[in-house]
Amino acid sequence: MRNNWLRLGACLIAAGLTVLAADRATAQQPIRIGVLLPLTGPFAKNGIENWEAMQIARDMINERGGINGQKIEFVNGDATSPAAAISETERLITKEGIKITTGSFASPLAIAVSQAAERHGVFHWETTGAAEIITRRGFKHTFQVGAPARRYGQVAVDFVIEDLSKQLKKSVADLRIALLWENRAFGKSVGDGIRAYTESKKIKLVYDEGYDQFATDMTPIVQKLKDVKPDILIAISFPNDAVLFQRKAKELDFNVAAFIGVSAGYSSPDLRNSIGNMVNGLFVADFPPKVNPNVLNPDIRKVADEFYRRYEAKMKRPPAGHAAAGFSAIWALFTHVLPKAKKFEPDELREIALKLDLPEGSLVNGSGIKFTNFDWPEDPKDAGQNLRASIGVWQWTPGGNEEVFPAKLATHAPIMVPLPVWSSR
Amino acid sequence: MLRPAGLSFPRARNCDATSGMSTLGQLVLSGIFIGGVYALMSMGLTLIFGVLRIVNFAHGEFLMLGMYGAWAITRVLGLNPYFAAIAIVPAMFLFGAIIHQLIVRPALDKPHLVVVFATMGLSIFMQNVALMLMTADLWDVPPIFDRSIAIGPFHFKTELLLGFVITIVCTLFLQWMIRATYLGKAIRATVQDGEAAMLMGIPVPRIFLITFAGGSALVGLAACIMMPLFSVFPTVGLNFVLIAFVIVVLGGMGSIEGALLGGICIGVVQSISSYYVAPAYGQMFYFILFLLVMIFRPNGLLGQKGAATIGIND
Amino acid sequence: MFLGGTYQPSGRRPLPFLPKRGTYASVLEIFIFLICLALTVVGLPQNLQDVAVLTFLWAGLALAWNIAGGYAGLISFGHAAFFGIGAYTSTILFVHLGVTPWVGIWFGGVVTAAIGALLALICARLRGPFFILSTLAAAEVVRIAALNWASLTGGPEGLSIPPVPSLASMVFASKAAYVIMMLVFLLAVYAITKCLEASRYGYYLFSVRDDADAASAAGVNPLTVRTAAMALSAGLTAIGGSLFAQYFLYLDPTFIISPELSFQFALLAAVGGLGTAIGPVLGSLLITPMSELLRSYLGNQAAGLHLVIYSALLIAVMLYFPGGIAGALTRIAGGKRKP
Repeated sequence: MRNNWLRLGACLIAAGLTVLAADRATAQQPIRIGVLLPLTGPFAKNGIENWEAMQIARDMINERGGINGQKIEFVNGDATSPAAAISETERLITKEGIKITTGSFASPLAIAVSQAAERHGVFHWETTGAAEIITRRGFKHTFQVGAPARRYGQVAVDFVIEDLSKQLKKSVADLRIALLWENRAFGKSVGDGIRAYTESKKIKLVYDEGYDQFATDMTPIVQKLKDVKPDILIAISFPNDAVLFQRKAKELDFNVAAFIGVSAGYSSPDLRNSIGNMVNGLFVADFPPKVNPNVLNPDIRKVADEFYRRYEAKMKRPPAGHAAAGFSAIWALFTHVLPKAKKFEPDELREIALKLDLPEGSLVNGSGIKFTNFDWPEDPKDAGQNLRASIGVWQWTPGGNEEVFPAKLATHAPIMVPLPVWSSR
Repeated sequence: MLRPAGLSFPRARNCDATSGMSTLGQLVLSGIFIGGVYALMSMGLTLIFGVLRIVNFAHGEFLMLGMYGAWAITRVLGLNPYFAAIAIVPAMFLFGAIIHQLIVRPALDKPHLVVVFATMGLSIFMQNVALMLMTADLWDVPPIFDRSIAIGPFHFKTELLLGFVITIVCTLFLQWMIRATYLGKAIRATVQDGEAAMLMGIPVPRIFLITFAGGSALVGLAACIMMPLFSVFPTVGLNFVLIAFVIVVLGGMGSIEGALLGGICIGVVQSISSYYVAPAYGQMFYFILFLLVMIFRPNGLLGQKGAATIGIND
Repeated sequence: MFLGGTYQPSGRRPLPFLPKRGTYASVLEIFIFLICLALTVVGLPQNLQDVAVLTFLWAGLALAWNIAGGYAGLISFGHAAFFGIGAYTSTILFVHLGVTPWVGIWFGGVVTAAIGALLALICARLRGPFFILSTLAAAEVVRIAALNWASLTGGPEGLSIPPVPSLASMVFASKAAYVIMMLVFLLAVYAITKCLEASRYGYYLFSVRDDADAASAAGVNPLTVRTAAMALSAGLTAIGGSLFAQYFLYLDPTFIISPELSFQFALLAAVGGLGTAIGPVLGSLLITPMSELLRSYLGNQAAGLHLVIYSALLIAVMLYFPGGIAGALTRIAGGKRKP
């Protein structure tokens, strides 16, 4: 008799422990997300900045209890080059069993990672990669949260049309606009976009040339630009060439009324370290590093403040636009997509993502979210493009970086228009 | 007439003939000056090529090392890179000597491919050690002379002109050394025929060591001159090493004057083709030039007859 | 037991390209290939299949390089251009014209073989470092052309093959199919290499490599021999490039036609043993898994550390085992080093 009671008691205790254990197990089962970023190689600098921003997002969400009690765990892959990106993505998917990937900072890497992901039907949340082709391949599970390449160029041209032409007191038809693009995936993509957009607005470009990324001497390029005498130069360069170009421009005394750099080289906070006060007055078309807080929802505003605080504490400098964009995108994944999922399967996540309809100002960098789904009039094969990604123009100023365009995102009005000549800078 | 830019200066008006000529002039002169700097970087390589008959694939990384050294001395001690050369050149000499003893000498009596791969491995090794220690960031030095020098309608960065002048001085010095000193004679003899030189009592292995170390020292000097003109990062060597190879072959293996001439050619070709055709194709032109030289004049402009076709001392 | 075949003179004069009677594969070679076959058939865990695909592919490509570099003495650092031309040709034919890759790869191979022959003719008089640098320059010209001819090659944005599995488009859903495909490629190139070694034409090649003047005195035309070797090497490399394109499904000109890739082919052959058939295979079997796994496990911890280790190992191997692995094994086995 006593043995029976003992046995029953033991069973009950065992059952109770099992239930408790199971409960803890599901509660503690982390959600594993594969992060493919270039941590070595030519994109390493920006890749590491992006990675830091994403880690802050992960820490912040885990401190808030994770997603319905489940913590987020990142599994890292070093996407040094497109080939490495594919190998690493394959490794994460086949060896680590990852079903959700994100990354990848640069366009060629994004193209490669999303290709590998789609092959296995894995959900890929692309934060910053901009090449148009990312969403034009008919993939179902790739979502590009950041703006596509043509928008970078468009916002620069819009800035010229709506703002600069008035400040320079010239009509748009009279302005001489030059376009210089670096012959890499991003540079070419943006250049193509600017060309198409200016044609549609009937603006003629007086100069439109690509140059090799390994160029060591900018003299012929600057000389040609000097001979063309543009009023405004729009340039897409990576950090090395941006520094070389600015120095050569100063050396050969090449002056413009306004200079708009596009992302990459011109938005890197290290530019000021390299060329000092020569940066002041340059405009940059890129993800906003900081937007006018009034355009953000109140709760997102708090998240934004916390992000900037943590990033500056860790990296000793404010985040570059792309790092803020990386944080923005991954935070949106954490707060708008994952909480609605039950099994975190790619098809389920795809349904949730396609239903998202967030107005602008919902993300930390001022973006909204609305993805295409083979229903975009301009290209029926396009899916996963975010039509509400914000992109703007900011300016290097002596006091810091200020967002200047479009007006509703702006924190400051543009200064130093027209740009003073080299001898007085 | 030299005047610092910034004083009142007639801007080129929109006159085609004048601006066309002054553009061409600017391109040619800039090409010559930058070509001279490239040539200094290649002189070490051509000496090594001529004497030891090997291609040092880590040449670009030696340049990178020299540039990092120049940067470090500039930033830490507050000197400018030209003064840093006083320390960098002997340091690179020593480094070259060590690499020669450790890697090059054991490879010399083996099939030619061994030294090629050994130096290539060294190149990858140095690039990644630099990446681990210095990160992928671009480092550069603040401008030393904050103005350009103007000669007529042309502007040149002072550092560029200074670099060119140093190159010319160096070339003259090396020429003197090669012609007038015993070491120079020994080097010339070894370039012409290593076996015969040994038979004449020249300590060929020591000549090899001195040449390799001296070539590295030259690269160190070039690095100090190039630091004010370019940024340094772990893969900066890749940009320049192909240019160096082209210059060495174009100018003729083992010829110092050839390296200078080759460098100037390359600088001008790059300058002009980037302007008149398209900057994107800039590099292609000097590769095509290289291939043309290889087909029609494989010994290079000033090299020994038969060097390319008779072969190396395998 | 030595590596390679024995050559018994026979009474009849065979066709120049078939192996003479009496050639056999050594025990070691059979052993290695049985292992590869077993791994493929039994099935590796999924993550190692990726490594296996690359190992077999690079082994085949190193063998192809070896035909020019090890057998003919034409050391080239521009083979990535052949690789790229093959990859782009079959992909362009598929993406723009709908030609199935099963046909496209042969087309790419033939076109590239012609280009390889042209290159050999152009550089016919050059030796040693001059030849090496010429191949490097030629490859760079091809790279820049591919980068800028955007209407044909997609420029820097590259070319993608839609990842829709189908036999007709040579895209497979399972990795195992790719492992088999690459192994077949490797075996095919290996067989060609062995036949070449044992044939009369192979003797011509070795004689030209070892002493071109003596060879021409004996009636062998070095120019035709070298040109043919380069053409064969280029064509096989191009086929490998096409297979790579079908596996990766994305072509990026800066990686596909890079000096780094050219070095890799030469490296695998040199470390494994130049001028032997099994050498490049051994080189790839050793280096490829090592570099992939090093990058996977160390790549994140210290940027560049895996490459530091890899390159230090490379220097050590080159200095102390110049005959490569095959040479070292031959020495251990006590046999003669075959020509």
